[in-house]
Amino acid sequence: MIRIDNVTKSYIAGIDALSGLSLEIDRGEFVFLVGASGSGKTTFLKLLLREETPDAGSIWVAGRDIGRLAPARIPYLRRNLGCVFQDFRLLPNKTVAENVAFALEVIGQSRAVIQTQVTQVLDLVGLGQKMDRRPHELSGGEQQRVAIARAFVNRPLVLLADEPTGNLDPATSSGIMKLLERINKTGTTVLMATHDVGIVDEMRRRVIQLEHGHLVRDQARGIYGDASETQSRSVSSITVGTVPLDEDAELDLMPHRPVRARRGHR
Amino acid sequence: MAVSFDYVVKETAANLWRNRVMALAAVLTVAVSLSLVGTALLLRQVVNRQIGQWSNNVSLQIFMNANATPQQLSEVKVLISQEPQITKCTYLNHQASYLQAKQVLSGEQTAFQALTPAITPTLFRCQLQNANDAPAVASIFAGAPGVYGGQAQYPQKSIRTMQRITNILQVVLLVIAIVLLISSLVLILNAIRMAIFARRREVSVMKLVGATNWFIRIPFILEGLVQGLIGAIVAAGVVLLSNIGVNYLVRHYLSSSTIPVSQLIVTEVVVVLIGVVVGVLGSIIAVRRFLDV
Repeated sequence: MIRIDNVTKSYIAGIDALSGLSLEIDRGEFVFLVGASGSGKTTFLKLLLREETPDAGSIWVAGRDIGRLAPARIPYLRRNLGCVFQDFRLLPNKTVAENVAFALEVIGQSRAVIQTQVTQVLDLVGLGQKMDRRPHELSGGEQQRVAIARAFVNRPLVLLADEPTGNLDPATSSGIMKLLERINKTGTTVLMATHDVGIVDEMRRRVIQLEHGHLVRDQARGIYGDASETQSRSVSSITVGTVPLDEDAELDLMPHRPVRARRGHR
Repeated sequence: MAVSFDYVVKETAANLWRNRVMALAAVLTVAVSLSLVGTALLLRQVVNRQIGQWSNNVSLQIFMNANATPQQLSEVKVLISQEPQITKCTYLNHQASYLQAKQVLSGEQTAFQALTPAITPTLFRCQLQNANDAPAVASIFAGAPGVYGGQAQYPQKSIRTMQRITNILQVVLLVIAIVLLISSLVLILNAIRMAIFARRREVSVMKLVGATNWFIRIPFILEGLVQGLIGAIVAAGVVLLSNIGVNYLVRHYLSSSTIPVSQLIVTEVVVVLIGVVVGVLGSIIAVRRFLDV
């Protein structure tokens, strides 16, 4: 689903935010991305979203080299990647339902589709009864559920979560994690950057650890802290071309109608 | 491009309302500058028509001394008949000349009161094949006996002066209008910039969930277009009013006919188009500079 090939990215000359990173994430995996602040987690997510482009190396999402994607195609890449953040990023002047509907509205979905999809996804996240509330009337956990609903309403192939529990208490966090697990069970790949030791240790999923832009650990059923090397995947064994790309999950990068875009990516 | 009509109209209206003070400033500046542009265009048409009228009607006037003898008159008549450039000539006797003077001097009662038919110079009013040859033809009558002031008069000189004055006036009006148009462009640009800033959360969410660039941009560009258009429509109204004023002026003080409706429509269309262009241009610049999609 995601393949990173020897990717290097630096914002300031001489200091690499990511350096020579190579890894692969299969379809339907649940992956934690851990590491201290400044270790390159956010850069990694930004590269996947094509908010940034790598200085070297290539990034493949569902069989597409997204570094070579035309700027006009970037929106179609993002429709396949749901995104959740620590600060929720909901629109304060819209209701819960409107916030979720907005994500479909702006990609040109019809009203009928929007209505059924929004109701469905809000039921899934357990907010079916609070559709007409505004974000400020909700608790933090509920707001994050709305954000997850918005990210998932378009049924993306991958859900990227940047510290989704960072602002939440442990009990609420575990509710959010249950929700993410449920989404993962539908076949959606989940990639979650986190600092939450408890969650990572409890879930026992694949853990990828970054340090100063280097991959230092990639462990199949890992914990947050450093773990015994016996369970580690061999980082070096992951080489280009050994793992087949998902053929059945092709990115839908073609718009239904031709779209003109005149400005290059800055 | 899957941009729904509903969505765009809703967003544009919401943006305009949220930003109404800035939008109003932009609209008013567009209206004022385009009113000037439109009025300058009307003025130009009137002046051109009037000048055309004058040059066609009268090319040369030969005033005769009030006490000119019949012999002197007939000598001048001979000169006139010998000149092939002169196509038509009418003679205004004392009475006719006096009546014309009355018209010309209507604003200056004291000057007119000193005049009687007997002392009013009579005149030959002639048309030339080509009004531009007036100076050459006029030289024939230089020093001819009985000619008032010793030379024939031709309005070309005063027409040229008038043309120069109206040209200067037009340039001044256009410069003011262009400065105002630039400032309305900047105001629209700024209004759109504020709209983009006010909606930065929405824009960031739109980018996140994969809205296309044009989907994000179109409501903002439309907002600028609407501002330009409203300003232009106001200006079109002002131009219509000033046309009424111009028509009044033409009927009472000038000899040319009023501006035909077709020309008025062309002027209005030009005004509205400029408004739309200014609006779209301002918002496109704003969107390109400040909307990082």
